[in-house]
Amino acid sequence: MTDLLQVNNLSKRYPGFVLQNVSFSVKPGRIMGLIGKNGAGKSTTLKSMLNMVRPECGTVTMLGMDFFQHEKECKQKIGVVFGGIDFYPLKKLSSITAVTRRFYPDWDQRRYEGYLLQFSLDESKQFKALSNGMKVKYLLALALSHHAQLYLLDEPTSGLDPVSRDEILHIFTRIVKDGKRSILFSTHITSDLDRCADDITYIQNGKVLQSADKQTFLRSFEHLKASEDTGPLTLEEIMLRTEGRYLDETAL
Amino acid sequence: MKLLYKEAALAAHPTSIVFAFLGCLVIVPAYPYTVIFMFGCLAPYITLLYARETNDAWYTAVLPVTKRESVKGKCMLIICIQLFQLLISIPCVFLRGALKLENNPVGIDATIAYYGFGLIIYAVYDLIFFPTYYKNGYQAGKAFVVASIPMLLLMVATEAAVHFPALAWLDSYAPGDLLRQTPILLAGILCYIVLLLLAYRISVKRFERVDL
Repeated sequence: MTDLLQVNNLSKRYPGFVLQNVSFSVKPGRIMGLIGKNGAGKSTTLKSMLNMVRPECGTVTMLGMDFFQHEKECKQKIGVVFGGIDFYPLKKLSSITAVTRRFYPDWDQRRYEGYLLQFSLDESKQFKALSNGMKVKYLLALALSHHAQLYLLDEPTSGLDPVSRDEILHIFTRIVKDGKRSILFSTHITSDLDRCADDITYIQNGKVLQSADKQTFLRSFEHLKASEDTGPLTLEEIMLRTEGRYLDETAL
Repeated sequence: MKLLYKEAALAAHPTSIVFAFLGCLVIVPAYPYTVIFMFGCLAPYITLLYARETNDAWYTAVLPVTKRESVKGKCMLIICIQLFQLLISIPCVFLRGALKLENNPVGIDATIAYYGFGLIIYAVYDLIFFPTYYKNGYQAGKAFVVASIPMLLLMVATEAAVHFPALAWLDSYAPGDLLRQTPILLAGILCYIVLLLLAYRISVKRFERVDL
C-alpha cells in the first residue's frame, strides 16, 4: 500500500541546532506519534515538511506527490494544526472560518457545524476570548472539516483537559478507521500515544532515533528495562531513560 | 480573488481602509496634496505590521497557499488601496471644479501631472518597502523608514516644482497644459506597473528563503 507520507533525509541547519536526515513514512489508516523532548526537532520537522522553513535537503512525498513541487495541491488534501499559535485575536471565529472554507473545495459545512457543537464552540466569539484548549479545538474543527486524507498536528492535545483529550483521541481513531487516512502528530503527552498511536517516531537532538510500529518500537527499547520492571516500558519511561533523566527519588 | 478576500477580511487593518478614502482630501482648498500619497504609503506599513502581530503568515502558511501567493495577496491588497485612493479623488477634483474653488496655494493641484507623480511615488515606495520587509518577514518599521526617504524626497520635489514659474504648467487645469501633462501620467502608470512587478518578484524570491 502506498504511503500517504514519506519523509526522506530532511535536513535543516539553525545556529546551534541541526535537523539531520530525518526519514520516516506513514501508511494509510495509521496514527503516527512524533515524540522527543522540547527542542528535539519535532516542530522543525513538521515546519520543514510544510515548507514553512526551508530545508537544506530532503524530500517530502505526500499523497504520492512531491510536496515542494505540488505544495498547493498537497495542502488542499491535508489538515494542519499548530497548537500554541494565535491567529487574528480580534476576529470572530465565524470570520476566520468564512475565509478558511473558501480555500478548500471539499469543505464540509455540516461536518464543521457538527464539530462546533461537539466542542461547544461559539462562532460569535473572538479568537482571543477562547481558552488555550478551546483554541486548539477550533483549529482542529477547521482542519477536520475538509475531508483531508492526511493530518499533520503539532501538539494538538496540549492545553486540553483529560475529557477533551479523550474526545480528540477518539476522533483520531475514528478518522483512520476507514484505512484511507492517516494522522501524524507530535506531542510530549506520551500517554496519548500509548492509547492511540500505531507507529512511533522518536526524534532526539535533530535525528530520528527510531521509527517503527509501536510493538517493534517498544521491543527495540527493551534494553532500557531494569530488573524491577515487570511489564513493558511505557513511552514516557523510554523517553526518560533514553534522555538520561532518571527521577531522583531523594531530590525532595 | 479568494486571496484578496482573505486579505481584506482578516489581514487588512481598518486604518488602511480609512487611508484608502483619504483621496477625498483633494477637496480641501489649501492642502499639500502629496500628503495623500503618504497615507497610501502608510497603508502597506500598517497592514504588514498588523499582519505580523496577528500571525497572518502562519495562518496563511497552513492554508493551501504558497509563499509566493502569500506575497501576491499582500501586494494585491496594497495595489487596491493605492489605486482606490487615486480613483476616489477624481470625482472630488470635479466637485472642486464645480464649486469653483481657487487653485491650491500650498503646492501642486490635483492635475493630471499630480496623478502621474503620485503613481511614481507609490511605485518607488513599494519597490523599496516590499522587498525590505520580505527579507525576513517581520521588520515592517525598518522597511517603512527606508522606503520613506525617497517617498519624502519625491513629495517635496513634486510640491516644490510648481513654485518654479517654468514648471507652473504642472499646476494648471488649462486644456493645453493638461495635454502637456499627459506623458507624466503615462510615465507614472508604466512606472507603477514595472516597479510593482519588480517589487513582487524580489519579495517572492526573498520570502521563499524566510523561515517562519
